[in-house]
Amino acid sequence: MNDDAELLQRIRAGATDEFGELVHRHQARVFGILHRYERDLQRVEDLAQETFLKAWRALEQFDGRAPFEHWLSRIAVRTALDHLRREKRHKDDVGLPDLGDDVLDWLRNPDEKNELAARDAAEVLHRAMQQLAPTDRMVITMQELEGRSVKEIAEALGVSGIAVRVRAVRARAKLKRALEKLSDL
Amino acid sequence: MNDHNLSKLFAAARNEPAPTAPAEFSADVLRAIGREPAPRPAMAASVFDHLNGLFPRVGLAAAAIIVLCVAADLGVTAIGMPGVDDGTAQVASQYLFNSDDL
Repeated sequence: MNDDAELLQRIRAGATDEFGELVHRHQARVFGILHRYERDLQRVEDLAQETFLKAWRALEQFDGRAPFEHWLSRIAVRTALDHLRREKRHKDDVGLPDLGDDVLDWLRNPDEKNELAARDAAEVLHRAMQQLAPTDRMVITMQELEGRSVKEIAEALGVSGIAVRVRAVRARAKLKRALEKLSDL
Repeated sequence: MNDHNLSKLFAAARNEPAPTAPAEFSADVLRAIGREPAPRPAMAASVFDHLNGLFPRVGLAAAAIIVLCVAADLGVTAIGMPGVDDGTAQVASQYLFNSDDL
């Protein structure tokens, strides 16, 4: 695989079209990150485009000390956080899909039921996580769904490691309560 | 909802595949970039820019003091009082280069 640094050098020298190749290489990762915070595919695409545009605008600031992929992931995380904050402000405007009977059964009797399908589990979590503060939601998503370390989360969100730990505990407790509330639907 | 069940929920959600980008996605991004204003070329920073970056407040304070001193000297000269250069000349003639002491 051609090295990102080489590609970036050509882009900086004026080969703008080469940025398309960079997008192609990293789009799967960016879509993967953003989909953790937004279920609507059209919105995920819009956010991904916003992420790459931000990267393009800030390309001169990328110093190459960390891999490009990490730098881009941080931009995607910040884009997701901005999106969650906007959504939080317009929470009442967002329509929520109804949860299916299987999901509600599982929520009412999680010990007795089999595991949920991946899509249903993600849908339930997404819905319950809307009760969390945007940063708390980012913390618990990165920790539990993406398997990132406390240090990585702290760097991505620009907060301390202690703040990440505190937020993770708080988010987990609030998430449990939100899931219990969903089972009452 | 206990911790075990919450962990089970996370484990199931982790397996959800991410959506794939549409085939035209990178072309769309390039089109959006084409609509962006052209980035301004970086201008070479002058010595003053570097100094300002290193000592922004010290530089400003030093310049202000210099301007104040010059203005004060001009002011006192204009109203007939001995200025800084007169005082310096007096000190030099009385103490430093006094021929009587040589």
